Amino acid sequence: MSYFIGEIPMGLVYAVLAMGIFISLRVLNVPDLTTEGSFGIGAILGGVVGASCGAFWSLPAAVLAGACAGLLTGFMQTKLRIHPVLSGIITLNMLYSVNLYTIHVATEKLSGVKNTNLNFGKNTIFRMMMDRLAISPNSAAGSALKMAVLFAVLAILLILLVWFFSTNIGLAIRATGNNPDMVRASSINVDRMKIMSLCISNGLVALSGALCAQLGGYTDFGLGSGTLIRGLAAVVLGGAIIKGSRILTGLLASVLGALLYQILVAFVVRYKLFGADSSDMKSITIAAVMALVLALPAIRTYIHNKRGHRRRERKDA
Amino acid sequence: MLEIKNVSKTFAPGTVNAKKALQQLSLTVKDDDFITIIGSNGAGKSTLFNVICGNFLPDEGHIMLDGKDITYEKEHKRAKEIGRVFQDPMRGTAPDMTLEENLALAYKTSGEHGFCKALSRRKREFFREQAARFAMGLEDRMKTKVGLLSGGQRQVVTLLMSTMITPKLLLLDEHTAALDPATAEKIMEITKTVVAENKIPTLMITHNIEQALTTGTKTVMMDDGQILLEIDNERRAGMSVESLLALYKEKKNQAFTNDRMLMS
Repeated sequence: MSYFIGEIPMGLVYAVLAMGIFISLRVLNVPDLTTEGSFGIGAILGGVVGASCGAFWSLPAAVLAGACAGLLTGFMQTKLRIHPVLSGIITLNMLYSVNLYTIHVATEKLSGVKNTNLNFGKNTIFRMMMDRLAISPNSAAGSALKMAVLFAVLAILLILLVWFFSTNIGLAIRATGNNPDMVRASSINVDRMKIMSLCISNGLVALSGALCAQLGGYTDFGLGSGTLIRGLAAVVLGGAIIKGSRILTGLLASVLGALLYQILVAFVVRYKLFGADSSDMKSITIAAVMALVLALPAIRTYIHNKRGHRRRERKDA
Repeated sequence: MLEIKNVSKTFAPGTVNAKKALQQLSLTVKDDDFITIIGSNGAGKSTLFNVICGNFLPDEGHIMLDGKDITYEKEHKRAKEIGRVFQDPMRGTAPDMTLEENLALAYKTSGEHGFCKALSRRKREFFREQAARFAMGLEDRMKTKVGLLSGGQRQVVTLLMSTMITPKLLLLDEHTAALDPATAEKIMEITKTVVAENKIPTLMITHNIEQALTTGTKTVMMDDGQILLEIDNERRAGMSVESLLALYKEKKNQAFTNDRMLMS
């Protein structure tokens, strides 16, 4: 049990990612592949800025960088009329270079050697707070504090987002995802709405990356890989459990989905469901679960039709 | 007042598929005009609406709205002053948002901040009053998703959205064609009331010639990207569907003879 509780902080970090993906996938109705890149830049800046300018600054720096990535993708999607999926892939590849360059330069400055990862151990927001409150980092109080901080971050984000989507602009963004034709006919700038929501979405994703680095006291060039499927799975899983079209419902469902995902992966690895190489198999597990959840409506219809057919046959006989 | 001056639009120019959708078309809609437009498929009726709304730009000519040249103005900017209702009831509303949220989208008073709450109590009350005017039971469904309303109800919502802030021009693109006859008639009555109450200059496309002759103040017949006939109210009074069709044939006679010459 305590093993699974230990997974909750990471699940909360990924809940921020899931909220970002929820905004692009469900509210704006566009699959945004920028995610892996913006999570990556968030994770790298989360570590590098944290190690050099103070832990607190890592978060706004990451949000800003993520928002810029979203701005670029949005610009390509709207003004340059590039297909949304392709725009995401282009930004993602640009960020690959940017991220690699950033971590190389930063590690060389900080430690004298070019590297693709950075261990900045004690320079995290969590350690800062523990030191101030005189809590030992490895105690139960330490992990409780971590959880409390992450819960507070999530709560603040939830309140901000729910408020934002109830304003005129938020309403216009929701309508843009729902029926762009109608929005155009009602004097709202569709392009601006798309760009704005991609900025918010990627800002959240990058924030999640920064929190991920801060939580571990470690950042790596590869932290972003696999985050897209993780976020999508969280939104899809959560959406299958908690249904509803309100923004608050969707955001809460995404948070729940992210936690479930984390526990599911932990379960697979812990009980070695696929033998000794179970941690290699976690991606396929999640991909399979996600495909299953997405296929549920189709499977349900299929079974329903089949049953009805059989019943009719019996009647005829 | 809307003035359309010598507007032309050709699709796929320079190819074998080149289609002259509008040819040197001029039309004036005065402030008290309610003009009905008829014409066969491909006559350019919808193209005319699209050019007015800015879905695409004309190749030549100018469009003036209340003295301001809007020929090259962006689509969403001119949408502030032009209301439009489409044939497809799905097109004018956001299906997954509630009725009051849809109305809130359309009703953004000038000077209101983008970060203001979209649905204050005062606005909710106002939207309810507006919706209640049409006796369609809308006022009891303010928190219902618009996707769950009937086609007729959705058209009324769209009409309300495009006229709540009185526009300088209202475009109706066969907005009752997808509805059953009884509902279509009801929506037409509501349309006439709304247009008359707010004195909105209006253009309405219809395929129902009877309806075209009995609605509004003037009927325009389009053909091949041009205006073939303009019939004002006095001439409309004594006109039946048959006499209009006869007039159409007479006007088209030239073209028919040419066709026959080609065929023989």
